[in-house]
Amino acid sequence: MQESQEKFIVPIGPQHPALKEPGHFEFTVDGENVTSATIRLGFVHRGIEKLAESRSYIQNLYMFERVCGICSHVHSTAFASGVEKLAGVTVSPRVKAIRTLFLELERIQSHLLWLGVAAHEGGFDTLFMYSWRDRETVMDIHESISGNRVHHSVNLIGGVKFDITPEQIEKTLKGLDYLEERTKYYEKIVTTDETFLGRTRNVGKMTKEQAETLSAVGPTARASGVKRDVRVESPYVSYPEYPVNMVLDDGGDLSARFVVRIKELYECYRICREILKNLPEGELSVRVPRRIPAGEVTSRVEAPRGELFYFIKSNGGETPERVKVRTPSLCNWSTISSVAVGHKLADMPMLLVGIDPCFSCNDRLVTVRQANTSQTMYWEDLRKYGVEYYK
Amino acid sequence: MEYETFIHDAESILKKWGKDIQHPEPNRLDVYVERTDLLAATQAIIDAHWGYLSALSGLDCPAPKAADDQASTEGHLEALYHFCRMAAVTTLRVKVPYNDAHIPSICSIIPSATLYERELMELFGIIVDDTPVPDRLVLADEWPEGVYPLRKSFTGLDAPEKAAQES
Repeated sequence: MQESQEKFIVPIGPQHPALKEPGHFEFTVDGENVTSATIRLGFVHRGIEKLAESRSYIQNLYMFERVCGICSHVHSTAFASGVEKLAGVTVSPRVKAIRTLFLELERIQSHLLWLGVAAHEGGFDTLFMYSWRDRETVMDIHESISGNRVHHSVNLIGGVKFDITPEQIEKTLKGLDYLEERTKYYEKIVTTDETFLGRTRNVGKMTKEQAETLSAVGPTARASGVKRDVRVESPYVSYPEYPVNMVLDDGGDLSARFVVRIKELYECYRICREILKNLPEGELSVRVPRRIPAGEVTSRVEAPRGELFYFIKSNGGETPERVKVRTPSLCNWSTISSVAVGHKLADMPMLLVGIDPCFSCNDRLVTVRQANTSQTMYWEDLRKYGVEYYK
Repeated sequence: MEYETFIHDAESILKKWGKDIQHPEPNRLDVYVERTDLLAATQAIIDAHWGYLSALSGLDCPAPKAADDQASTEGHLEALYHFCRMAAVTTLRVKVPYNDAHIPSICSIIPSATLYERELMELFGIIVDDTPVPDRLVLADEWPEGVYPLRKSFTGLDAPEKAAQES
């Protein structure tokens, strides 16, 4: 009894109307140090997998695009590719190239968004403002090509909705040049700014073995030296023609996760340029039957946060029998509960954003409990606490 | 192709436990195992360093209607363990009957499976014995016990007023 009274549990989360993936974490602390962490998800569980079973494949394409508000195109590409595989339809190289282009543009905006959020959690708001300002460049590119900033609606089952004109290519290339210059600047900052490195270096260290055991994916895994990138391991859409150089870092700490994501941006720019300069010819869409032949298919794509896995089963009808979506954040959550242990409470905001869990908001209610007394903190307070702690 | 070698390797690792082995796609291998063999098969995959657990999903296969020409005549639940290595995907499939929907937990071998197992328990009602944290993960706190939304028999909860009247 005595022991339990001495235990502090700091619950963080769960809810904020603007947050895409609200999660509830309970960190048990001993003074400043975190001794255990638990997760409760599901605050935005919308039953999409169940809903998919009663909707046609076309309706589902639009629904799956809305699983995520940041990486929407990866979902629709994973779903469309899977259904095309079941239907035995092959899309033209031009369709694949346009899909790949958007996958990479999406990665650019996602990584820049993350850079801003992570900088903000570290108390470096100038970097946050800079990276979000620059992110507008790629958002404008999205809008100029697809008409939409977030849900681009690029895909059809069996094709893409629009072509790319020479003017759009020119505009995109110009935007990419600008972004590349800016990225060099960001790389310099996150690797040389001592104040910032104080928050990231040796924080949240995860060894290669840990990352493998915890099934980390995406940049989180690659920053621990794990060679895991679906674009390289199992190239899909146009990646066989435009191969990706996997960015790895052995650091395993938060700093390495910054470096990996920023270096990946250079790869994104290079791939986008290659695609835009040699856009292959081909039909924009092919006919796909409304009834999809019976069968099961797995479809894997590399989302900005890591491997996204789709399992689609058809019974030969107009609606799928089962669609399983395993998003990369789910894999990376489990790294938090292990890596958090032994760190200071003040490191938690940075540690959480380190995996890029679409942690795009603050102001989340935090209650600090001790036995019968409780004290309420907001996420913003916790962030300030972290910033103050490291001053 | 590289994945052919991997699929071949996976097949030789799992042959011992495979009740039924299928190749649904060139880069995929489906191995049906008994639940008693699940841990041994998983351990063998890990010991051989054959890829990593990418996803765990459930599947509800209710008894087909008379007109359906499916081979199975009795409904069952299935747990699918997808392991990926480069482009190759090996799936361990475990069938369990509705009235005895128990499977062993693989968390002692792959600790990160805990989230998937919790999801499986909540959404399909497959009871994962000895899973480290059996707490609710994704469904709401007020969600009724014993209602599993991803089962085909689930078509929606009663409207709140109706449920209140009945109780």
